[in-house]
Amino acid sequence: MMQELRAAVAAEWTKTWSVRSTWGTLAASAVLMMLVSAQLAVAHENNNTNEITTDDAGMTTAGAIAIESFAMLQFVLFTAAVLLVTTEYASRSIGWTLQAVPVRGRVLAAKAAVVAPVMFAAGAAVCLLGALAAKPLLGEWGTLDGLAYDMFATGVYSAAGGVLSIGLSLVARSTATAITALFVLLLLLPVLLSAAGSPLAEAFPSIAGDHFMNGDTTEYPLYAALLIILAWTAAAVLAGLRLLKTRDA
Amino acid sequence: MITLRNLTKRYGEVTAVNGLDLEVRTGKVTGFLGPNGAGKSTTMRMVVGLDLPTSGQALVGGRRYADLRWPLREVGALLDAKAVHPGRSVRAHLLALAHSNRIPVRRVDEVLETVGMGKAAGRRAGGLSLGMSQRFGIAAALLGDPPVLLFDEPVNGLDPDGVRWVRQLMRSLADEGRTVFLSSHLMSEMQLTADRLVVIGRGRLITDTPMRELIAGGSSVSVVCPDAAGLAALGARLPGSRAVSRDELLVPGATTRHVGDLAHELGVRLHALRENEVSLEQKYMELTENAVEYGAAR
Repeated sequence: MMQELRAAVAAEWTKTWSVRSTWGTLAASAVLMMLVSAQLAVAHENNNTNEITTDDAGMTTAGAIAIESFAMLQFVLFTAAVLLVTTEYASRSIGWTLQAVPVRGRVLAAKAAVVAPVMFAAGAAVCLLGALAAKPLLGEWGTLDGLAYDMFATGVYSAAGGVLSIGLSLVARSTATAITALFVLLLLLPVLLSAAGSPLAEAFPSIAGDHFMNGDTTEYPLYAALLIILAWTAAAVLAGLRLLKTRDA
Repeated sequence: MITLRNLTKRYGEVTAVNGLDLEVRTGKVTGFLGPNGAGKSTTMRMVVGLDLPTSGQALVGGRRYADLRWPLREVGALLDAKAVHPGRSVRAHLLALAHSNRIPVRRVDEVLETVGMGKAAGRRAGGLSLGMSQRFGIAAALLGDPPVLLFDEPVNGLDPDGVRWVRQLMRSLADEGRTVFLSSHLMSEMQLTADRLVVIGRGRLITDTPMRELIAGGSSVSVVCPDAAGLAALGARLPGSRAVSRDELLVPGATTRHVGDLAHELGVRLHALRENEVSLEQKYMELTENAVEYGAAR
């Protein structure tokens, strides 16, 4: 049982790194995180030093700036996970995947076992890069305090989001559908609900992720935020597994 | 050995495969024929567990595909030569397959040599021609050195040299004692390659017979004789014969030896005496006459 799973993970690992899209999306995430973090840092510094006093935000941390950028850019990172599934359907190479590993649950477990650590590392890395880009531009208004937690929390959220993306992509099968679904789930719905003043927004994974990464306990404790994220991830995985088992490849 | 038991696949109202019972034997090349839409590909996909049967079973060596511990070492199936990630290199694709079933990595280079793609290992799969993709797919099927092999239209897109190579490969795989299940629309090729033929139409089994039996018992002899009297004399001694033109007689079920001896005995002058073998193509057309799903108007 474990041998078979290890072999399946090794295959997924090889597949993950032998296509350009993985390298491309990860590199794009890193570059965009640095650019957007730099932009946000400039804006923060500017708000504090301009003549308008109402927009002064005071001190911040470089990590907080990076997390703010990450909230906008998480799709780019998750696209790497989405493509690992959807390109298999687009190219019909899912056939080889399932011929090699006919146990559907094992295929999903192997993909998740590759995506989770890769996304953890990528999330932590882009958080660090964003913070490093922001720090010099914040000048006296930003520190590197709490950066270790920020990186860890962004990594954890990214790992969960990556696995969620795998589950969602197995349901959607096509890249366009999967990215759209991800966009609606992580951005559109929570933003609309929160604009309408609905407390339901707090139950969405991206909002819970925001609280979790920012260490913000005003709505609920951090463990509750993490549980919300993991519940959505589990739901997406179960939906993906169910369809993987019952639909023809 | 591949065993199908009452295998059925329905898509809504359409029944693609309808109660198929079949045994594909070891050590033989079994040809799988049928018109477009007859259910050949669906049947093969069910054997390797890509499509789920509506009812019935498809077993390999008595077991369901999903129950095989290292399936690529037991069944090699080339179902769709173009079904590979276009951006992944030939070698990386095979390497991932090898890892998935704990197949030694050296097999990757071995099978690439076998199919004549040793130099193409670094090329992206998307840039391969259809013929190269077929060779690539055959390499993937052979990777785990499996005793059971399925090939769906493996000669599509191959050049004459490649077609001949596939024929010889199929023969040698069967001679090594493997089960080879092969579909193709090239009848002349199938006639040269297969030991046994399975023909299906509209999802149902039409025939499952040794090739020799299928194309035997339909042969005839043609006699060309310039003298009307001589032709009539021959015809009178050959029951069942009929004139197909002014100077030609068709004698079903006869042999050239018999007809030649008779002509000599009667002193009849002949211009031609030849045996007409039934081709697989003719036989196939007769068998599937009523089972063509998508046919042009005739």
